[in-house]
Amino acid sequence: MTTWSQRITRSRVWRSFFRHGWPDNPLDRSLVMTTNIFFHLHPVKVSRASLKATYSFGLGILATILFGILAITGTLIMFYYVPSTERAYEDIIFLQTKVPYGQLMRNMHRWAAHGMVLVVVLHMVRVFYTGAYKPPREFNWIVGVILLLLTLGASFTGYLLPWDQLSYWAITVGTNIAGYAPFIGPDLRMMLLGGVEVGQNALTRFYALHIMVIPGALLLLISLHIWRVRKDGGLAAQRKAEDSLNIVGEETL
Amino acid sequence: MSQETTPKQDERFARGPQKTYSLMELVRGTSPMVDKGPDDTVFSFPVVALIELLLLLGTTVFLLFFSLLRDAPLEELANPDIVTNPAKAPWYFMALQELLLHMHPVLAGIIVPGVVVVFLIILPYIDYDNSDAGRWFATKRGPKWVFFTALYTTLAQAFLIVFDEKMGLRGLGAASPLILQVIGPILFGVVLFGIPMFIVWFKKPTRREWMLVIFTIIIVSAVVLTISGFLFRGPGMHLYAPWNMPDGYNPWSSL
Repeated sequence: MTTWSQRITRSRVWRSFFRHGWPDNPLDRSLVMTTNIFFHLHPVKVSRASLKATYSFGLGILATILFGILAITGTLIMFYYVPSTERAYEDIIFLQTKVPYGQLMRNMHRWAAHGMVLVVVLHMVRVFYTGAYKPPREFNWIVGVILLLLTLGASFTGYLLPWDQLSYWAITVGTNIAGYAPFIGPDLRMMLLGGVEVGQNALTRFYALHIMVIPGALLLLISLHIWRVRKDGGLAAQRKAEDSLNIVGEETL
Repeated sequence: MSQETTPKQDERFARGPQKTYSLMELVRGTSPMVDKGPDDTVFSFPVVALIELLLLLGTTVFLLFFSLLRDAPLEELANPDIVTNPAKAPWYFMALQELLLHMHPVLAGIIVPGVVVVFLIILPYIDYDNSDAGRWFATKRGPKWVFFTALYTTLAQAFLIVFDEKMGLRGLGAASPLILQVIGPILFGVVLFGIPMFIVWFKKPTRREWMLVIFTIIIVSAVVLTISGFLFRGPGMHLYAPWNMPDGYNPWSSL
């Protein structure tokens, strides 16, 4: 006698989607991880020590989750926002007062953005104090430093978009700092703003950077970062000192 | 054979003292576990997947409730003719803006952040001994060192900020660029890095411990500068108590 669930899971359609059985055994639990593009970034097995909450505090996962929330809320805001000095501010007012849940979407986007900067910094602090940047994880540490800078860039470019007094003067002050660099400073600032002052060109550039260039780079590098954690042998967490190096192959029995 | 040298098989994995080991069978195969000790691992599915799902739900719910309670700020339409007072960068750049109040723009805006980023990038190539990787603070004296470095940096940095505000190195700098460009930064460098590193020197630190001290000075300095710039700077970028700002300025409104 076959039940409905068996009929579905044995169907040609189901088996073309999922190439593993119910994950209650080692083989299928491995296949879940290796046949799914999202799970495939993870290792099939993880050490018990790395699951301890007080080792990693889940900060890397939290940063990724906040990035996802930012992508979703940001996309929803994009449906109502035009990056023009004439319209930007009015669009935000419209979003907050006329669009159902518009204010909520903007609030979530704002607080998640601050949260992501905070969590990414805490993640770096955690990785440093646990010594998880050491071989073979040097490269992933550098990817992490770039991700930190990209996160700051994503937050900073988004800061200008509401086009109110707060954003206008924050970006003016912020880009002035870039202008202090010797030799290239003024050109760098010019390139960022598309002019000598924060104006329409700056808004256009910051918008393009904020919705496309930086999130695109973040998506790629976050994927690389997580995949590389697996390639470097999972989290560095160790329970005992003698577990640290497992050198094999210098001699075969 | 002397007891001091570890037997070959024990180099691969340490034997548990409570266990006895015996040969059960010989297996011909190419498993990745050949020649390795027993590992302490679990399948990622479903444990890791569940942890991630819970964190996702928790974060979303927390963010949803926080967003219901507090609205994102929105001031008047941008106006290039009316400068806000104070005009502040976003909070995560306030450490830089605070530093700009104390030293030459090239130093505060470019050289100091540049050196910090370069330090972060080359860090794994300076401190590459991975025998203590994956453990908080690495050594026995690590936590104590980090704590006292953090405490010292907080007090020293706060002192330097208030000292500069009261003495007005900025004002003196206008008269003599020497003070602003040379004496100010040297003072910062000696008090923040020189003194603690000189004390640490006598304790014969390992590379890891050097890094613990330097990184702690950098990160705690950044935190103190950020808090000072974000919370304690009011109109004219002068120091005020956050709850007692003139002109009704609320530092939290710039989030």
